Amino acid sequence: MGELRQIAIYGKGGIGKSTTTQNLTAGLVEHGKKVMVVGCDPKADSTRLLLGGLAQKTVLDTIRDEGEDIELDRIMREGFGGTKCVESGGPEPGVGCAGRGIITSINMLENLGAYTDDLDYVFYDVLGDVVCGGFAMPIREGKAKEIYIVASGEMMALYAANNIAKGIRRYARTGGVRLGGIICNSRNVDRELDLLRAFSKELGTQLLYFVPRDNIVQRAEINKKTVIEYKPDSNQAQEYRNLAQAVIDNTKFDIPTPMSQERLEEILFEFGLMSDDYNI
Amino acid sequence: MAIHLENSNVATRESRIGSITGYIGTLSDLAKQSGCGTLKGCSRCFSQSSSCLSTCALGQLAAIRDVAIIHHGPAGCSVEGARRYYLERTLAKKRGVTNNTVYVGTGMDENDTIFGAADTLRQIILEVYRRYSPKAIFVSSSCATGIIGEDIDSVVDDVREEIDVPVAAVHCEGFKSRIWATGFDISDHAILSSVVKPPRQKRDTINFKNFYESARPEIIEMFRNFDLEPIFLYCNSTIEELSHISESLATTCICGTLGNYLGNGLEEKYGVPYIRTINPLGVAGFETWLREIGKVTGRKDKVERYIEEQRAIYIPQIEEVKKELKGLKAVLGMGPGYTFEVSRVLNELGIEVVWALAWHYDKKYENGDVPPSMEYLLDNDIDFEASVADQQNYEVMNILHKYQPDLYLSRHPGSTVWAIKNGTPAVYVADEYMIFGYKHTLEFAQAVLDSIHNRSFEKNLARRVKLPYTDWWYEQKVDTFLEEAGR
Repeated sequence: MGELRQIAIYGKGGIGKSTTTQNLTAGLVEHGKKVMVVGCDPKADSTRLLLGGLAQKTVLDTIRDEGEDIELDRIMREGFGGTKCVESGGPEPGVGCAGRGIITSINMLENLGAYTDDLDYVFYDVLGDVVCGGFAMPIREGKAKEIYIVASGEMMALYAANNIAKGIRRYARTGGVRLGGIICNSRNVDRELDLLRAFSKELGTQLLYFVPRDNIVQRAEINKKTVIEYKPDSNQAQEYRNLAQAVIDNTKFDIPTPMSQERLEEILFEFGLMSDDYNI
Repeated sequence: MAIHLENSNVATRESRIGSITGYIGTLSDLAKQSGCGTLKGCSRCFSQSSSCLSTCALGQLAAIRDVAIIHHGPAGCSVEGARRYYLERTLAKKRGVTNNTVYVGTGMDENDTIFGAADTLRQIILEVYRRYSPKAIFVSSSCATGIIGEDIDSVVDDVREEIDVPVAAVHCEGFKSRIWATGFDISDHAILSSVVKPPRQKRDTINFKNFYESARPEIIEMFRNFDLEPIFLYCNSTIEELSHISESLATTCICGTLGNYLGNGLEEKYGVPYIRTINPLGVAGFETWLREIGKVTGRKDKVERYIEEQRAIYIPQIEEVKKELKGLKAVLGMGPGYTFEVSRVLNELGIEVVWALAWHYDKKYENGDVPPSMEYLLDNDIDFEASVADQQNYEVMNILHKYQPDLYLSRHPGSTVWAIKNGTPAVYVADEYMIFGYKHTLEFAQAVLDSIHNRSFEKNLARRVKLPYTDWWYEQKVDTFLEEAGR
């Protein structure tokens, strides 16, 4: 067992962060790794595929109902392959402060001793963008030092990724947080691979892995399973195993160099248009 | 500037009337820039003090008799309630009435911050109504509820169906303005939008906005000469009284900063004239103010008779004291409603103002005019160095050290203490009526004389106190920490 790697996954809303994180986790489990997944989203759907449904009471709901004097097993459940699953939870849409909730929730996990020595990886699956200090919690105070941004070739996904990189750069100056790379969750847009490579280079990082689009992911989700559990022999299951291997092997961690809006648009213009004879 | 009573939220003084907290220059330049619209506030890269606007807003409302203030925020933010409880009851006792106003904090905790506490707030409002039967309920926001966007308006709208007294949302997140006087406007807005009713009949009353109604008996007596009855606001007011202030013949105030929003609001909404003269401090101020009231309420002759009688009594006495005050040099630091009025009175008494600090400055009042006190000083060729500093004591000390005035005047007690430690005699213009009318102008002149006659206290104290400021700071320009200042 090596040193605990704490990883935060960011990316535009709906890009597939939770799906990618859970499938990646399943891949790591197959490599014999001990993993904890902490969902940092009020929707509390970051561990659904690992747990076989939304069967988890969130940290914040538990604190609200039972006070702060609770046992760890009240908020942590075991999912696929022995993964530890926690959902931070949060308020109803339109009320309260979800960002504050994440801060409280992660502090509670620490107080309850959730970060045990046997863990190899902790993943923080964070809602959407780094919209405020609360959503930056996983990368503050030396918690997650490794960030991956899930993106695709769609413009708004890259725009969000660039913004997230600004948040990472802020904390990289004072803490040890670094960007481990971009994970492309393909949407099959024009010249997506070239575009993501160019974008990653400009951002001062690497394209860690390109996950192709496959409808089997959708079918596995409907069945409340990761692809690795649902169809272990499928090509897509292998893709996630490869992604897991890429994360395990990754040694390239950078302080990102976010670009201006103009530069981002130049890259899109240069790489984001398919020429007639180009075939991905 | 229109007052929008249908919206419970009041824009800050900065955005509504261009108020600033940072400036250094001269009075004439300040007025000129205000007039032509080029005045731009400077920020400070070092700030020593500030104050929370909710103290001003809720302090005003809590002084009303038999109401409930519900402060929706963490317990620490409601700490003002303890001071208010003591203050309001003392002020009621002084007048011989009882005040059963309650100040309740909702004690937001971390969970409330995360999930919102609208349901709890609703229950607290209903419980406060059941338990204390207040005549009105003011539900205030705090920084915490402001940050999480707690929808207090909806809760208030909702409970109105179950409560048959006025309920108002009072939006006073401390961070929204650097100018604590914005809190006065917020309290006026709540009263105007939730308590004041349209007039049914005109009455021979005059609304008098003040702080603590300390000169109440003599002002009632004075207005009796003109067959007018003053209604003092809001200290010891009742909700019933406040509901009728739209029926008064005019509105006036002891301090323009305090009364500006209510006066303009009553004029705009109900046509109650707002007396926009210099304030009733000093001889010129008192007479100008009285004559305007006489004009607006149709009592010119009675006012002139009163002025004549009173002049005969007091002017010779004031002239006598003035002989001894002539040539003194003064520095003063106060809220802008007093700074430029007191400067005018000092000038009237023959004292030279060398520097005046205003804790903030309103470029224009609600009706779009430059404050009348500024206009008066300029019309009479009175100019001096002036700055706007939100109680930045280090700047006051720098000025006192440079100018070594005979006298420092402030309406804020901490400020005068520092001057005394510096060896400067100081007059604490604590009472809002300390310079009101002929009688108090005379008393004020005598108080100044007393302060400078024997300076041994200041001298001895200064010799024994080591101030934290270094020689380096005293050698610096006053505007050293002011950014973007036109040096």
